[in-house]
Amino acid sequence: MILTLAHAHAPAASHVHAPAHAGHGGTGLFGTVVAAAALLAALTYLSAAARLRGRGDAWPRLRDLCFATGCAALALALTVTLPGGPFTAHMAQHLTVAMAAPLLLVLGRPLTLVLRALPGGSPARRALLAVAHARPVGVLLFPPLAAVLDIGGLWLLYRTPLSAQAAHHPLLGAAVHAHVLVAGLLYTFAVCQLDPVRRRWGPGRRGATLLAAGWAHAVLAKSLYATPPPGTAYAAGDLHTGSQLMYYGGDLVEVALATVLATRWYAATGRARRRRARGTPYGPSRSSATA
Amino acid sequence: MSSEPARPAPTAEGPLPRRSLAVCALIGAAVMAAVDEVVFHQILHWHHFYDRSTRGVGLLSDGLLHTAELLGLVAGFFLYADLRRRRALAPAHGVAGVLLGLGAFQLFDGVVDHKLLRLHQIRYGVDVTGYDVAWNAGGLLLLLAGAALAVRAGRRDRDHERDRDHDRDRDHERDRDHDRDRDQGRDRNPDRPTA
Repeated sequence: MILTLAHAHAPAASHVHAPAHAGHGGTGLFGTVVAAAALLAALTYLSAAARLRGRGDAWPRLRDLCFATGCAALALALTVTLPGGPFTAHMAQHLTVAMAAPLLLVLGRPLTLVLRALPGGSPARRALLAVAHARPVGVLLFPPLAAVLDIGGLWLLYRTPLSAQAAHHPLLGAAVHAHVLVAGLLYTFAVCQLDPVRRRWGPGRRGATLLAAGWAHAVLAKSLYATPPPGTAYAAGDLHTGSQLMYYGGDLVEVALATVLATRWYAATGRARRRRARGTPYGPSRSSATA
Repeated sequence: MSSEPARPAPTAEGPLPRRSLAVCALIGAAVMAAVDEVVFHQILHWHHFYDRSTRGVGLLSDGLLHTAELLGLVAGFFLYADLRRRRALAPAHGVAGVLLGLGAFQLFDGVVDHKLLRLHQIRYGVDVTGYDVAWNAGGLLLLLAGAALAVRAGRRDRDHERDRDHDRDRDHERDRDHDRDRDQGRDRNPDRPTA
């Protein structure tokens, strides 16, 4: 439905002069490099998963599918010209790079896979564990901080002249794209908490973070409907379609994140109850921490 | 009954009326918010995505409600599934909770969003008074029905509990009498089933 909306508004917006092409279509060298890296990551992931299965480990194929789809979506969004007016196309790209692709990548549990695939005691595995358990990484993975880096960056982008500036300076544009991708990955990783990291956060705190971040995202999207980013001049139709795409697209990813969180909670409390029913000593308190 | 030792693997923890009520109220409120968005925003196009008269605070409350609605739907679904899994759902309290949630959101939307914050109106280009009255009266009706059902469910629970306590007290008394009789070498109650 969103796509048809985007098409409907495209002719109205196409003859209006857009401020350069902020994220409209490919993103030059940066896009090509990230797309190549994404494809390389997908190949590495698939071969590692195949190796795991070859030695008899269980590794669900759904994770392969999620990770590969995430890589493909990322590569496509950064290299192909997306439909719709300039703002709508920019927003579709932004949704894919910052929200949809990170969710799919995180669902593939890449850190778990790499830690399992690398031989125990190898320097690479030890280095990766050191990074995953480092204190600064733990701080960055504090869900509210990750949310501020992600959504706060978005507010900066659309409510300061940064968006207009990024359209004219390729280097700044690439930096913005890189930030959006990395912050999106960080936030999704912190909220889903699927991979093994040292500091774990309960479902309540992560849920509250999701609520606050979704709130800030919805308010920003709706405000873009009436007020474009400063220094830009998008056509009204383009602006309306783009902001609704941001609003409802954000909803979809948010519901998916909430479902991941809730599914994990449901499974963990179920395990805890079964343990308690069997009479094993460590029951409820432990499981609620890992939920 | 109460003197029985606990079963080794208790799968059912007994109904949890308060939790049932709260979870179902969450679902009711979220469903009403979703119905409002789907029917009035998407299908009828009566409400507007963004009313130009919307003030900052209205925009903020709208975003919070919208996000809370989505997360409430997901959380409510899983909490409900958890209640069912634990066989802890108290159906009467659940139904009351749903109605309370539906009515509370409807009334909140009608009074706070439409009138106090003037976020958007029910319909544009017509006299909105009749719509407002119908909207808020509907909400109030749902809320009152939910409250009545909650009171009734609570009262019924209390009655059950009293009956059970009464039975238990009677059992206790009988046990005590039985013990005393036994100690005194009599069997006053020979047909009492042995434990």
